[in-house]
Amino acid sequence: MDNTRNTTREWIHGLTALILALFLLGVSSGLGIQKSIVDIWGAILSIPEYPAVVMREMYLGWRSWSRDKNSLNEEVTRLRNENAKLRLDLAKITSGNVYVASQDEVRTARVTLRAPMSWWSEIRIDRGEQDKITQGLPVFYNGYLIGRVSNVSLMSSWAELITSSSFMIPAVIEETRELGVVAGDGNGTVLMKYIPVSRAVRAGMKVSTAMIGEQLPPGLPIGQIAGEISTGADGYATYRINPGADLSRFYTVNY
Amino acid sequence: MLLVILWLIQDFLTVFSGGGMQIPGLFMLGVVYKLFVDEGSDDSLWAIWSAFAGGILWDLRWIGVPGFFTLGYVVVVLVVIQVWGLIPPQGRASGSSLLVFVLLEVSQLVPPMLPVLILGGAAGWNYFLMQQVYSLPAIMITMYIYLRRVRSNKV
Repeated sequence: MDNTRNTTREWIHGLTALILALFLLGVSSGLGIQKSIVDIWGAILSIPEYPAVVMREMYLGWRSWSRDKNSLNEEVTRLRNENAKLRLDLAKITSGNVYVASQDEVRTARVTLRAPMSWWSEIRIDRGEQDKITQGLPVFYNGYLIGRVSNVSLMSSWAELITSSSFMIPAVIEETRELGVVAGDGNGTVLMKYIPVSRAVRAGMKVSTAMIGEQLPPGLPIGQIAGEISTGADGYATYRINPGADLSRFYTVNY
Repeated sequence: MLLVILWLIQDFLTVFSGGGMQIPGLFMLGVVYKLFVDEGSDDSLWAIWSAFAGGILWDLRWIGVPGFFTLGYVVVVLVVIQVWGLIPPQGRASGSSLLVFVLLEVSQLVPPMLPVLILGGAAGWNYFLMQQVYSLPAIMITMYIYLRRVRSNKV
């Protein structure tokens, strides 16, 4: 009996609530006070909602920053590639370069291995014979020479870096046309050797490959003179070179 | 108190999402859950009027016209009371998963459907369907909490 009464009460209350809801739905649009109630309720809720508003603004700010950053990164990459191409074009114009003249476009390869044991000596790239890579082909980053292909297989190749101790190429100081040899020391330093002491070589002068090379074409930019390291008893000085490419931060290379 | 907190969380999440995501009806999940576990009181009038109040406040905050969600909330409570009342107490204690799921789903299905049925429009249906998708995890969590409670009471 109690249960029946409870059920009846529930029905009465439920139907009353339903009728009230329908009534409100029907007449609320005509009530003038409805807007002000909505405003007051909104103002009250603005207090507990405040952290959500702040968090949302923070989130939107972060997302916008992230988007801007991505777009800036894309722009930087595009400009870097364009810069690299322009440097090679410049080398082509200034030296009548045979190799560069034959390159219509700068192609990109991904560095797939740089072993810690041979960090400054060689890298492996994901392009090989099938991509027309040949032994001795110069490898660039950011438009500067960073090495040359030393070993080619079908789908990948190894490139010897200019910091490798076995890397030696003839080079020229562009401002003085002084010839020397660019060599690595195996520990991240690039040297310009065999420059007569009496020559006025200064820091900042540009170094590029020389025309007398057997494998590499002339005019490929390498870097700039950083300063004199030593003067030998034979009257020749050794200079340290700042490579134009950041040899610690490349994930892709051009060839 | 639980219902007030759930209402505020639902409101908080709706503000945070900024309309970009449809927030599950946490308040109604709370009301239905409390109806499931409410064995002590003689009737369920608290649920009817809690749903009514919660609905009106939600309408005033998010719809601007009181009645839409109020109607849906009250309908849900009446359905749950009637269906749950048909199950004998022993059957409730055994925790029929399917029935619990269906009733929790009803609490997420009916309230947002009424405004769409009344106002119509493709955008409204899209909103409704997305809300159903987002509601499923909340329903599953509520179901898990309820079934765990039933099992622990048995032990």
